[in-house]
Amino acid sequence: MNELPQQLVNGLLLGSMYGLVAIGYTMVYGIVQLINFAHGEIFMVGAFGALTVHLYILPDGTSIWVALPLMLLGAVIVSVLVAIGAERFAYRPLRGAPRLAPLITAIGLSLALQQAVWAFYPEAKSKLPFPQIEGGPFSIGGATIQTGDIFLLVAAPISMGFLAYFVMRTRTGRGMQATAQDPDTAKLMGVNTDRIIVIAFALGAVFAAIGGVASGLKYGQIDFKMGFILGLKAFTAAVLGGIGNIYGAMIGGVVLGVAETLATAYIADIPGLDKFGSQSWADVWAFILLILVLLFRPQGLLGERVADRA
Amino acid sequence: MTTQTTAATPAAAPTENASTGLIGIPPHIGRALATGGSILAVVSTFLAWTWTDEFPGDLTFYGYPGGLQVLVLVGGALATLFALASYGVKGLGWLTPAGADAALKYAVLGTFVTAWYTILAISFKLGGLVNLEPGGYVVAAATLIALLGALALPFERPEPDPIDPDATGWELFRHQAGHRWATARAAFASGSPRPVRALPSYAEILIIVAVLALALVVFTYGIGTEYDELFIGFLITAGFAFAALNGAGLVAHASQITARHTNITVCGAFIAAACFPFTQTDDQYATLGVYILIFATVALGLNIVVGLAGLLDLGYVAFLGVGAYAAALVSGSPSSPFGVHFPFWAAVIVGAVASLVFGVLIGAPTLRLRGDYLAIVTLGFGEIFRIAANNTDGTSGPDLTNGSNGIASIPDLSILGFDLGVPHDIAGFTIGRFANYFFLMLLITAVVVLVFRRSGDSRIGRAWVAIREDETAAEAMGIHGFRVKLIAFAVGATLAGLAGTVQAHVTYTVTPEQYLFAGTTPPNSAFLLAAVVLGGMGTIAGPLIGAALLFLIPNKLQFLGDYQLLAFGLALVLLMRFRPEGLIPNRRRQLEFHEEAEAPTVLSKTGA
Repeated sequence: MNELPQQLVNGLLLGSMYGLVAIGYTMVYGIVQLINFAHGEIFMVGAFGALTVHLYILPDGTSIWVALPLMLLGAVIVSVLVAIGAERFAYRPLRGAPRLAPLITAIGLSLALQQAVWAFYPEAKSKLPFPQIEGGPFSIGGATIQTGDIFLLVAAPISMGFLAYFVMRTRTGRGMQATAQDPDTAKLMGVNTDRIIVIAFALGAVFAAIGGVASGLKYGQIDFKMGFILGLKAFTAAVLGGIGNIYGAMIGGVVLGVAETLATAYIADIPGLDKFGSQSWADVWAFILLILVLLFRPQGLLGERVADRA
Repeated sequence: MTTQTTAATPAAAPTENASTGLIGIPPHIGRALATGGSILAVVSTFLAWTWTDEFPGDLTFYGYPGGLQVLVLVGGALATLFALASYGVKGLGWLTPAGADAALKYAVLGTFVTAWYTILAISFKLGGLVNLEPGGYVVAAATLIALLGALALPFERPEPDPIDPDATGWELFRHQAGHRWATARAAFASGSPRPVRALPSYAEILIIVAVLALALVVFTYGIGTEYDELFIGFLITAGFAFAALNGAGLVAHASQITARHTNITVCGAFIAAACFPFTQTDDQYATLGVYILIFATVALGLNIVVGLAGLLDLGYVAFLGVGAYAAALVSGSPSSPFGVHFPFWAAVIVGAVASLVFGVLIGAPTLRLRGDYLAIVTLGFGEIFRIAANNTDGTSGPDLTNGSNGIASIPDLSILGFDLGVPHDIAGFTIGRFANYFFLMLLITAVVVLVFRRSGDSRIGRAWVAIREDETAAEAMGIHGFRVKLIAFAVGATLAGLAGTVQAHVTYTVTPEQYLFAGTTPPNSAFLLAAVVLGGMGTIAGPLIGAALLFLIPNKLQFLGDYQLLAFGLALVLLMRFRPEGLIPNRRRQLEFHEEAEAPTVLSKTGA
């Protein structure tokens, strides 16, 4: 049986998750030119927020269809609060400081968030099971979709559409575009840039939280380290699509997801590379893709923005 | 300098009627209390503080101090000296070139904190105040009196900012809090030190020797602290003593003198470091010494990349790993698939070149772009290195690194017939295995320091600094940005690889889990970065001190355990927020981080 459609579907699903998280990187970067290293951790605390709602707030045995929206809400609230707090107390005081300062702060923040969850969340020292949607896998034209992935299949396009509407049509969204193009001029035109920056962080956190819940449903477990590698991948996706471009983030995510899935599936068939095909090499291939993109098309697939804009 | 205090009193008097100190005691009584309290604190360390030797350090003896008492004794003696100097006692004037009051306040505060920490630790550990002997009460009272007296000393109060009439309650509160904070800071501020008198060079060199000897003593004491309480007390005392010396202007003087004789200072520092194994009776602390040295050397290498060139390398430990793996693979270890045994010089070259190759491979595509990309790519590389080393075990990848088991039983080095694995007797001292490696590592450190200093002062080094400050402007001045950055990155990678070759032999085994982005044991990338940032970016002494602290703190304070990394993450955030220039600031760096605050004073200094 030809398993290419299956691999493509898997890649698409994985890529949608990367894309959801990549949006946060790309929006913050587009507006304040800061790589928010702690964004992977925002994704992680989102997943833990959802789990908290399920374990400690909802009564046992609540149907997943009732619980899911509430879990999503919990995830969004936790992620947004953490992101806004990080912006307010860690990044904003350093605006105008040398470039290195916010990067180091972001690393510290990422480490602190990870360790705080590890140390203080009950039993988070090992992997925690995440509630699952019941029901068997679905089969569509030769490809199987796991139930856990259905959330992703629905949530990713909806949130993408919402984001496009928000950025293109609403007043705040246009304020964001203006701030991204030229913060000083936008300020002169009456845009409250401080507020716009907070909104960018918050919106990024919303999508990271959705991604966090999706990841929990997809893999059935979460842990405090889940944000690290995923954050790296999502950043790769953002660069791949053209950092600063929100459509690019989603497309970059999908391309990365598909490339990664195809690499793990087919690279072992290439003579001489037969030992590099297993799942454990997937991260390595994603990283090599990042290096290649930076080498040959640093502005990304869609990026009009020059990558080394000062 | 007593003149400063008398000058300050009338200046502050019109704004503050009651008192010019933080506490409403007349200044002359305050000074007397501070002096008397300090002397009494010194005396009390010769008394017994508790009745049982259950509290570590055995503080039960009359006649000679032990454990934490020694620290209180040192703090009290320092406070006494500064107090006497503040009275203008002849012969002590050299102690306080920047005025004695700030130094006295810090010294007294340090003594107070150490003493009260000890008393509280005794009470908690043994369960109640009843466990204190009279000496304990005496020291508590004496240090409290001294502190109250010191806080009553006059200082120049800052003028409060005018209040905005429209301010809301919250803004008013913030305004007042800000003023209180400024007042508290002013209470501990010192004047600018008077210039150093020109001394004959031999005297200056003697001073350098004394400073280095003091540093060696402090370091050896710190590394040899045997229990948590003593190490915390050591950190408190050392921190406040440094602040006091800084407040007295002695640190500024010492750095001026060392700046005049940099070569002698650097050589002296290495000799002092080389003396360290001779102060140890067994290999136990030499082990710590060699690990600190590895960590510090790698941090110094990272400082070339981060501190001089301003490139944030978040996977630096991977280059250490590349060097270590390369050396391990050619070391003749049974788990190496190559089965070759290179002599040490060849292994060093292999390790350094392997790191160089990876450095260029990672750097070349990313350094053309903005610095942010480098940060994330190196972060990725650090992780990929670990994953790849884990996978190349022959089953899930090619057989190269023996997977998660790592390359084990790496044989000891033998250089020119000198076997580093066995103890040797030198001049009556037994130099054990780790002490041997300590000397070898010191050699590597010397190489890194040499590279750092020579390149930092060269055309390339100035280009690095220019690139760090403003890449666009530097390129407009004709600096080839990409090439210069790639050199910095490659040099940094090579030096890490160099250190890695020794590390592989010291630890016997290299495993992927030694080279994490963040782990509980140094060196890992997060700790390395923290060491550089904490110590001071762009300086030589900074990362060395930062690395020593960051190694000793988790090693000595076992109770921190689970919260170490959390604390380091938060510490990084707070450091960047409040003291981005680190413990030992590089002058240019300090200016850069505090543009508004510092620029005028420095301008006036350069103008003068």
